[in-house]
Amino acid sequence: MNAIFSTVIPCIFLFSFLYALRKKVKVYEAFTDGAKGAIPLIMTVFPYIASVMILSELFSVSGLEEWTLTALRPLFSKIGVPEEITPLILMKPISGNGSIAILSDILTTYGADSYISRCACVTYGSAETMLYMGAVYFSGLKRKSLPLALAISLVCFFLSVIFGCFLCKIM
Amino acid sequence: MNAIFSWILILSSVFLLFSNPDLFLSSALNGSTKSASLCLALLSSYALWLGLIEVWEQSGIAKKLSALLKPIAKRIFQTQDNDALTAICMNLSVNMLGIGGAATPYGIQASKLLDKTPQAEYASSMLFVVNATSVQLIPTAIVGVRASLGSCAPADIILPSFLASAFSTALGMLIVWLVFRFKERHSTPFLPSPQHPRKKQGLFYKIKRAGTQ
Repeated sequence: MNAIFSTVIPCIFLFSFLYALRKKVKVYEAFTDGAKGAIPLIMTVFPYIASVMILSELFSVSGLEEWTLTALRPLFSKIGVPEEITPLILMKPISGNGSIAILSDILTTYGADSYISRCACVTYGSAETMLYMGAVYFSGLKRKSLPLALAISLVCFFLSVIFGCFLCKIM
Repeated sequence: MNAIFSWILILSSVFLLFSNPDLFLSSALNGSTKSASLCLALLSSYALWLGLIEVWEQSGIAKKLSALLKPIAKRIFQTQDNDALTAICMNLSVNMLGIGGAATPYGIQASKLLDKTPQAEYASSMLFVVNATSVQLIPTAIVGVRASLGSCAPADIILPSFLASAFSTALGMLIVWLVFRFKERHSTPFLPSPQHPRKKQGLFYKIKRAGTQ
């Protein structure tokens, strides 16, 4: 199964370039032209990513994260979410690398086929790294609708975790 | 965002002041180092995908692909801006293909273009929510991790994962729609105008009118 997925990206490149050649596009010029745009893009995005990352680092080092975790744990187990996956739920919107580390930790501790691990997998798949995405998508915009959009996404993520854990129980 | 940023900063500074004040500068710098290395990784990924995107643009693939989704996107995002719509459609279709790396540049481009249009807040919030709660058709990474850690049926997570993420996307779209409908009701007073029948004066009709005046 994985073999099929890994052919998708090379195939996309192959077909794009073959099609472009047939349409008589100067492929090399086009590609370098596009790649040129990466530097200004990063320059607009960098300050936002930097502030978000500094904030998330302070959040976890200061113990504020630990504090929120202990406050949330009993709440989670009451609504049908195993409390073992609380750190993952908190980490997933903040950091991609951090959450994959927690996920594999949960999988090795409780066994890859246990209920807790299945819940953790569904949680991992339910959202993207929202904090970084928000910083990037709303960087340099005049209209500031980020907090609202972020809050809505977080609520949906949270509800889908509850829904996913319920699905794991019955499926 | 200002309030969130300052509050978390103030709270964590206070926490650190009482527990371990030495850690403050080092962890703040650590965060900024992480952001620099993330940006370096992003720079290389953007260079690759923006290159491919330009090939798509010049060969006309982007136009063809987005033409399929445009009618739906027009209704969901309530915008008439053609370039923004193309970017949105490409963002969505690339997301469906599973190349997240190429989706982000399109998303940024779309929200920049939307920023100039009158109903920007609704459309860019919708775009962000759809992307942030992305539908997982096949969670390749998770299936891989499970298989490597000795699961007997690593693929049995696909269906619940798909259902849960589809649920969150649908719910997100609904909430964005409702929130902006509510905001609209409470920000502009109802103006009866004889040349337009009343039933036509839905939310987006009003937004469009507010934009053109």
